[in-house]
Amino acid sequence: MVAKEKIKNREAILSTANNQRWEVGENFHDTLMESIYSNASAIAKRSVTLPAQKETINWEKTLDKILTSRYLGFPIMFLILGVVFWLTIEGANVPSAMIASFFLDTIHPILKSLSASIGLPFWADGVLIDGAYLAMAWVISVMLPPMAIFFPLFTLLEDFGYLPRVSFNMDGLYRKVGAHGKQALTMAMGFGCNAAGIVATRVIDSPREKLIAIITNNFSLCNGRWPTQILIAVIFIGAAVPAYLAGIVSALAVVFIAVLGIVFSLLVSWGLSKSVLKGEASAFSLELPPYRPPRILQTLYTSLIDRTIFVLWRAIIFAIPAGVVIWLVGNITIGGETIANIFIDWSNPFAFILGLNGVILLAYIIAIPANEIVIPTILMLTVMSLGLSGVGEGAGVMFELDSIAATEEILVAGGWTLLTGINLMLFSLLHNPCSTTIYTIFKETKSVKWTLVSTFLPILMGIIVTFFVAQIWRLIASI
Amino acid sequence: MHNAGNLKRLGIDMSNFDFVVALAGNPNTGKSTVFNNLTGLKQHTGNWPGKTVTRAEGGFEYNDNKFKLVDLPGTYSLLSTSTDEEVARNFILFGQPDVTVIVADATRLERNLNLVLQILEITDRAILCLNLMDEAGRHNIKIDERMLSKDLGIPVIPSVARYNKGMDELLASIYEVVSGKYVCKPYRLKSKSKELNVAVEKLTRQITEEFPNLPNAQWVALRLLEGDQSIIDAIRNGELGKIYSVEQNKTELETVV
Amino acid sequence: MNDPLFTLLIGSGILLLAVVSFFPQKGLFARMKRTRTISKKILIEDALKHLYHCEYSGVGCSIESIAGKLSISEDDAAELVAKLEEMGMLSSQRDSLQLSNEGRSYALRIIRVHRLWEKYLADETSVDEREWHHSAEEFEHKLSSSDADELAAQIGNPVFDPHGDPIPSTEGDLPEKKGMPLTALKFGEFASIIHVEDEPDAIYQQLVAEGLYPGMQVRMLEESKERVRFTANGEECVLAPLFAKNITVEQIKLEKTIEGKFKNLSSLKIGESGTVLGISKALRGQQRRRLMDLGVVPGTEITAELKSVGGDPMVYKIKGASIALRKKQAERIYLHSEKSEMN
Repeated sequence: MVAKEKIKNREAILSTANNQRWEVGENFHDTLMESIYSNASAIAKRSVTLPAQKETINWEKTLDKILTSRYLGFPIMFLILGVVFWLTIEGANVPSAMIASFFLDTIHPILKSLSASIGLPFWADGVLIDGAYLAMAWVISVMLPPMAIFFPLFTLLEDFGYLPRVSFNMDGLYRKVGAHGKQALTMAMGFGCNAAGIVATRVIDSPREKLIAIITNNFSLCNGRWPTQILIAVIFIGAAVPAYLAGIVSALAVVFIAVLGIVFSLLVSWGLSKSVLKGEASAFSLELPPYRPPRILQTLYTSLIDRTIFVLWRAIIFAIPAGVVIWLVGNITIGGETIANIFIDWSNPFAFILGLNGVILLAYIIAIPANEIVIPTILMLTVMSLGLSGVGEGAGVMFELDSIAATEEILVAGGWTLLTGINLMLFSLLHNPCSTTIYTIFKETKSVKWTLVSTFLPILMGIIVTFFVAQIWRLIASI
Repeated sequence: MHNAGNLKRLGIDMSNFDFVVALAGNPNTGKSTVFNNLTGLKQHTGNWPGKTVTRAEGGFEYNDNKFKLVDLPGTYSLLSTSTDEEVARNFILFGQPDVTVIVADATRLERNLNLVLQILEITDRAILCLNLMDEAGRHNIKIDERMLSKDLGIPVIPSVARYNKGMDELLASIYEVVSGKYVCKPYRLKSKSKELNVAVEKLTRQITEEFPNLPNAQWVALRLLEGDQSIIDAIRNGELGKIYSVEQNKTELETVV
Repeated sequence: MNDPLFTLLIGSGILLLAVVSFFPQKGLFARMKRTRTISKKILIEDALKHLYHCEYSGVGCSIESIAGKLSISEDDAAELVAKLEEMGMLSSQRDSLQLSNEGRSYALRIIRVHRLWEKYLADETSVDEREWHHSAEEFEHKLSSSDADELAAQIGNPVFDPHGDPIPSTEGDLPEKKGMPLTALKFGEFASIIHVEDEPDAIYQQLVAEGLYPGMQVRMLEESKERVRFTANGEECVLAPLFAKNITVEQIKLEKTIEGKFKNLSSLKIGESGTVLGISKALRGQQRRRLMDLGVVPGTEITAELKSVGGDPMVYKIKGASIALRKKQAERIYLHSEKSEMN
């Protein structure tokens, strides 16, 4: 009986509330907020003494004026981002090579002789050392140095307060394509790692715009794809111009691809907001925080621990199984042919239409877990399918050559042309996100549908773009 | 005078804690820095509003008591319907922390008070940590902490978390509140709108009748007028009464959180 | 296959075909999906809704009006009415049709879903205002009561839809109809719009195009058989009486009103400040809440601080913080007219 009474009382409270809501009307929330702020202002007035005179010279205001000015805003932004990328690319070269030589030239032979001395069977040695170990070694040597440079630099900019200004400047563009200004922030994060960029989309309030930001994040060229872009640009595009221009032209080619990525992200955002994710660009409110001098040592530490190691660890976990698969497809044979060769021969005609080749397609399928192993996989597969002797480490063993010239030799021997190079660069920009990113997309959207869209939309665009580039290229070449 | 020697940073070790401390505040006020100072953890702190989107937890030991520190997402308010605000609000309400430390930006006190006043409606055990005092000084902003403390009815601790200043005083104050040496008398909102006051009073009376132990009946009334489903549910299933009549029951707390 | 021109043509052809068939909303597949026949259930529900609307606004309802409303023949309408009577949803007395209690609660359930959905679209999505009603017409037949309750809980159990109509509670409670048509206002009188009727569609579209929405302050300037001239938030507006009738207003006391055109935040130049008068009701839901969280409430002083590269958005100093807002939002924040120069 008591319980019944209680339930009745409780329902009475709720129905009173409902009736009062009709009474108070729609303005309730407004009135409440007004009350809170008027209370707050009364309290603040009693205890806060503001400076009698406004500051006349304020470096922060001046800096803001410069960073957001009509003529300097964008050039400064491109300059800063350009310097960050340049430092990342340049600075990562030497340590990358050192780590690679340590893992490949020092540790790898030791492991090999160790396994020989304990008498590991051929397949176990292959799967573990030539497959799993090498994949891990590649991921670390290719990913760690650029990330250890890029993330701290990016974090310094973030701590200083520059990123919200970028977002503020870019909002005009994003508004026009029906997206959120903060998408600029998440896109910039994507240049480091798409998975990190997708997690960062949480700062976007509106679900529609958040989804757009997630789907288009893959168009930011991530760290795992930079090495591919740089290597291919140097080999094929640098080689197409006089030697003294080679460096600058190949660098410009990479920047061009990155900018193309931004253009695609804007185009796709526009397309989405006009079709499946229809709607007007909703509200955008962004606080521009005051500039704060970054604390460099702490930033280095936290960004290394927080982002670099985190992202690296994840990549390693995904790369190890991929390494095993690479070794297996290079060594398991059906009717005398390795699985890799069978697939390459079978997919070559289709790949030809796209201006690519079967090796590239297979490499991208195997490298879904981690983009950074694309280049070593391509080299391994090319050597294997050509049966070149005297180069490489053996069937199904990933390797990267010490000199770019040697890499070029192999690729040219594999039938690569300038067109293959260009299309590989385009395809590297426009293909499915890596498995970590796909998983992150699923975690953020909790929707299979949108995960599939984000996965297959770029690959579809990649096929369309490379197809047209290849055919038009050949058409012009045939004239 | 307490000194930092009493503080033992426990990082992510939060076993057998005696008290729960919630850390709330506007975005970009240095909340995460305070969190890192107390726990010894290195959570990333970016100069970018909305960095912390999930709840982070850490532990520290002070005066032989173990504390669990929960860093709530930074929000401007607790009245909107976004997820981060819901996380923060539900923890302060249902998680019943022993004390809620509100980190505020001393250079923009008035706008920060919006959140402070909302939190004071929910809980009666809170501390205001007035951070970025160095910035305030640089801008010639002076704040009378004692007056503020008197008006709000809670301790007010000035600090510069970036340089680890004011943390000892904050710890001492946390200890005073959780041990009951300092009894908060939180400021409660007064509205100018007659219509609103009538509705709130009517509802508050009815709620107090049903849940006499509730320390924040006015806030519950306000939430009902906003149509907040979690409060409606809490009234229907009587959870509201259960939470407040069982003071400081840790096992209870854990099942709720 | 090796002729690039040939391959190019085939490729373009396939692409074109794919675009034509799969294009969202306008593509062949989307069209096919849409042209499914209207089911009996939808007709019944629409008829009940129509009957309820007649009852709520106190006008008679007949088989003819149902036929007109649902765009079906009168024979079909008569059949529908017979079916409803059989189901115990209504009773017919001479000319007029009367809803039974059961029929009324059924209708209210549909209306609840309809208005909730509109509120949801208005507050939580960026779907265009002109599409709310169409979408709700579709979803009112799709969502179950429990789906609707879940939706309501998610968006804070709203009590009014974006047109100012009350949303029936789960128990089917609805407050009494308030206000009067705009045409009943006399010269010089002030009022506030509390409701903009969303049917018939043609009239509603016109009212939306004029930028009229609940919460606006109107003042009657001229009311004649030919036209109704009034100011809405200070801007002059002329409507045919037939259109003006679809706007419901509530008279307000003079002390709350402001003369002249409303000045908005976006009109501030860099360095100028103003004091907030209010936020337009056209900013809804999360957008509105966010602004208020940031301190945009009546009485707050705001200074324009900075332009972005393209001029939009702009940064405003609000209670000590620099907040970037898009022009479209700034246009909907009203300021007191007096100007004050900063610096």
